[in-house]
Amino acid sequence: MFEVRDSLKPQVGPLTRFSSRIRGGGHQYRRFAKFAILAAVLLLLLACSTGRQSTWDPVGPVAERQLLLFNVLLWVMVAVFIIVEGVLVYAAIRYRRRPGQGLPNQTHGNMTLEITWTIIPTILIMALGIWSVITIYEFDEPPASADVLHVNVTGHQWWFEFEYEDAGGGKRIVTANELRVPVDRAVRLTLESDDVLHSFWIPKLAGKIDVVPTRTNHLWFQADSDKIDSLPATFYGQCAEFCGIAHALMKFRVRVLDQEDYDAWVRNYGPPPANTEQAKQGQRVFGNCAMCHSIDGENDSQAQASRKQAFLSGGALVPAPNLTDLRTRESLAAGLLDLNKENLKRWIRNPEDVKPGNYMKSRAAHLYGTGELSLSDSDLDAVVAYLLNLQ
Amino acid sequence: MATITGVLARPTGYAGIWGWITTVDHKRIGVLYGVTAFIMLLIAGSEAGIMRAQLAQPDSTLVGPETFNRLFTMHATAMVFMVIMPLSASFFNFVVPLAIGARDVAFPRLNAFSYWVFLFGTLLMHASFLVGQVPNAGWFSYANLTGTSYSPNAGLDFWALGLLILGISSVAAALNFLVTIVNMRCPGMTMMRMPVFIWMTLITSILLVLAFPVITVGLVELVMDRNFGTHFFDTAGGGDPILWQHLFWVFGHPEVYILILPPMGVVSEILPTFSRKPLFGYPVVVFSGIVIGFMSWAVWSHHMFTTGMGPTALTVFTITTMLIAVPTGVKIFNWIATVWGGSVDLKTPMLFALGFISLFIIGGLSGVSHAVAPSDFQQQDTYYIVAHIHYVLFGGSIFGILAGIYYWFPKLTGRMLGEGMGKWNFWLTFVGMNLTFFPMHFVGLNGMPRRIYTYGEEFGWGWLNMLSSLGYVVLFIGMLLFVINLIQSLRNGRAAGHDPWDAPTLEWSISSPPPVYNFAEIPHVEGRDPYWTTKQRAEAEGHPITAGEAHVDVATIHMPSPSYWPVVIAAGITLIAAGLLTHYALSFVGGIIAFLGTIGWSNEPAAAPQSHH
Repeated sequence: MFEVRDSLKPQVGPLTRFSSRIRGGGHQYRRFAKFAILAAVLLLLLACSTGRQSTWDPVGPVAERQLLLFNVLLWVMVAVFIIVEGVLVYAAIRYRRRPGQGLPNQTHGNMTLEITWTIIPTILIMALGIWSVITIYEFDEPPASADVLHVNVTGHQWWFEFEYEDAGGGKRIVTANELRVPVDRAVRLTLESDDVLHSFWIPKLAGKIDVVPTRTNHLWFQADSDKIDSLPATFYGQCAEFCGIAHALMKFRVRVLDQEDYDAWVRNYGPPPANTEQAKQGQRVFGNCAMCHSIDGENDSQAQASRKQAFLSGGALVPAPNLTDLRTRESLAAGLLDLNKENLKRWIRNPEDVKPGNYMKSRAAHLYGTGELSLSDSDLDAVVAYLLNLQ
Repeated sequence: MATITGVLARPTGYAGIWGWITTVDHKRIGVLYGVTAFIMLLIAGSEAGIMRAQLAQPDSTLVGPETFNRLFTMHATAMVFMVIMPLSASFFNFVVPLAIGARDVAFPRLNAFSYWVFLFGTLLMHASFLVGQVPNAGWFSYANLTGTSYSPNAGLDFWALGLLILGISSVAAALNFLVTIVNMRCPGMTMMRMPVFIWMTLITSILLVLAFPVITVGLVELVMDRNFGTHFFDTAGGGDPILWQHLFWVFGHPEVYILILPPMGVVSEILPTFSRKPLFGYPVVVFSGIVIGFMSWAVWSHHMFTTGMGPTALTVFTITTMLIAVPTGVKIFNWIATVWGGSVDLKTPMLFALGFISLFIIGGLSGVSHAVAPSDFQQQDTYYIVAHIHYVLFGGSIFGILAGIYYWFPKLTGRMLGEGMGKWNFWLTFVGMNLTFFPMHFVGLNGMPRRIYTYGEEFGWGWLNMLSSLGYVVLFIGMLLFVINLIQSLRNGRAAGHDPWDAPTLEWSISSPPPVYNFAEIPHVEGRDPYWTTKQRAEAEGHPITAGEAHVDVATIHMPSPSYWPVVIAAGITLIAAGLLTHYALSFVGGIIAFLGTIGWSNEPAAAPQSHH
């Protein structure tokens, strides 16, 4: 222990050496400072990514205004930071005790200064505050003139359900984990939770709103075609309110389509046709799954409600994603896996392995009672063929 | 009743383990608080280490989701309730009576009681590890995830009951310090002559007394929901989960200031001492502390911006939250003005105090960006908030507390903490802290939510998380040096003398460590910074000052005798809670112990008959 102490015993601290270098004022120091500042700026730029869930890369008016507001606050903060930290560091170095120095001037305060540094921040904050309040009201609801697409969102442990009462032409659609919206159209979500708190967040489209049992919340966004390179485009989101064991894996996507593709999706929405022998077998096997998963868009509200009742009383049921249009999705298991035959089989075989904590294996005792999936390989292939409409 | 006091006669000795268990001496209780809370700091800090190891890389499988959820729940719960609050309480205990010229706190036995309740509450909550049913719903434990439908095991009962017990400790201690500060100041120490640390203790105590009943209501409702079938938060029975959030944050936001005001007070003592200049704008610093105390009650819903409160509530809480930055800023400006034009000695306490200011500025500024609701919609529940809270609570509270430990350690032990090691401790902690928490701002703005145990490589959060985890290693080494420094200095640190820093406040006028009775003669104060005045006068008159000049026979000073009852009642109360977790019979036994303990306490004579203190 003594050796440690001796080796760590510089009585001259790093700050002292740093400051003496400043007073030396050599070119070397200035070159080093320039380099350090450049490196820091580069690193900071690198740190602001435009990755999947970046808030730096908005593609619609809501997220864009939220970023603008943040950016203005950020630069005000950076300015205040540089000034205040600068004065602090300067004072600590400039007024360091010199040997033999007497008592410094014993000032006690200065009313002018106190008033100044109370009033200036107050004015600054009020100015920012007024603009913030304007933004709160301006972006509370979509513009009155907009032709709004309404979607109901229900949060479940650990997936999102989307219900379009009128997706277009009066058609009702229920789907899960992938929200499909037409480009350049305002979308207004009405959000409720089926169980615990969740929070709905697609950073590139809009900030989050909590999904709260017993309450109805709203969120609106729009994806602008001039900010999107090519359609269809996928935007990524995930639950932002801690909601239990699989919270980290409660992801979802927003698929932005051009009007034509969107209309086609609405038109084609419906259960898989089951027009092969294998698919017909799969349809029969799906009877096991249908206790929790609906496969039509029309009549599943009642079904979900009774599943919920069964779940709360400890029964073998749980409200599960509607699979009517599973074959048109690009992902599986709340956005965890790409949708394909192999992944779907992997998921059905052991959902616990993909998404630890989810209710599929623990609740569906008739399928997983032994710890292993009780379907035969042929049945598994058939149900996958049915769901994905494989020919 | 005589039989009960007869069973446990008032102990007389100060020696040995029983001396510590029965002590009512505020300095010893301060040490007990400090040591316990510091051990908890190491435990909760290690929990953070496991989380940083898990998050260092994408798709890591070091720990699973259940373990991770337990870790972040216990890390934050411990850091708030069992580390920062009791470390502050440790300073209240050790410093307050000394700095106001008193011989002890107003209620010495209640003071001991507060500590034992704190210790037992801590142990009770951590007993959850022994039975493998650890709290896992976060330190905020939002309803209705906390209901038995979604959290069937006993983890949340441990959490709620543990916090209820810790609340008893906090309120008892806060009342004690309120009364002590109001009633026990030495002659001449008017309110506006009190050291700023005493002011901040006073404001903190008021906040504690008012805030804890709110969380107590919430916790009692939670316990009843979980154990007796009520539906306060149970949505299936018509309960309201948002009610919990209001109760939690009406407590929780004042709580944030409960955590930061005491370190602000510590820094307000250290800056003048090491600048050899009185605190700039004393009345303004005090008044801004009071304003912060008041305003802390009007900002709680900024934690709930995304719950769908509607634009009116968003507006109100955006504005109030932004405005609280003003008194906070004013404090910072006055601190800087204190350093300005001073004779600045960059000893370790001063380094930590300056570190506190510089890091707290960052935490305060990022706070403004999520005071604004539309900006917060993107930041709420992301790592940006994690960065913010750690700049405030680590850069702020913990740095302030470390500054205080370096500052008052010589008074407590009579020995100096190693200065060279202290500087290394400071710089490693400072660099490690920034390396850990600064990248979190970016990873949050890049879309990483909090409380996720894993993330995919495709999100691009990997390298920033790796940076944070490496920062943790540096931070860990920095704190390790602190522990080594503590141990080494306790054994063979340089002798401190009574006044190593040429400090302005009364505690430095007596010997280090102070005698049991603190002041042989109760001091008489004529202004702020009384000990500076005394020393300057003595210098002008040409006779140097020595510590502890006793003009009285110390044998005539009567100090309260030690007592068994505080620890007995604390144990009884803990058993009541433990019974709810095991068998109600245990609660009954606990109730009887607490009841008899109370009778014993009330009938106890003020001092043992043969006591000389």
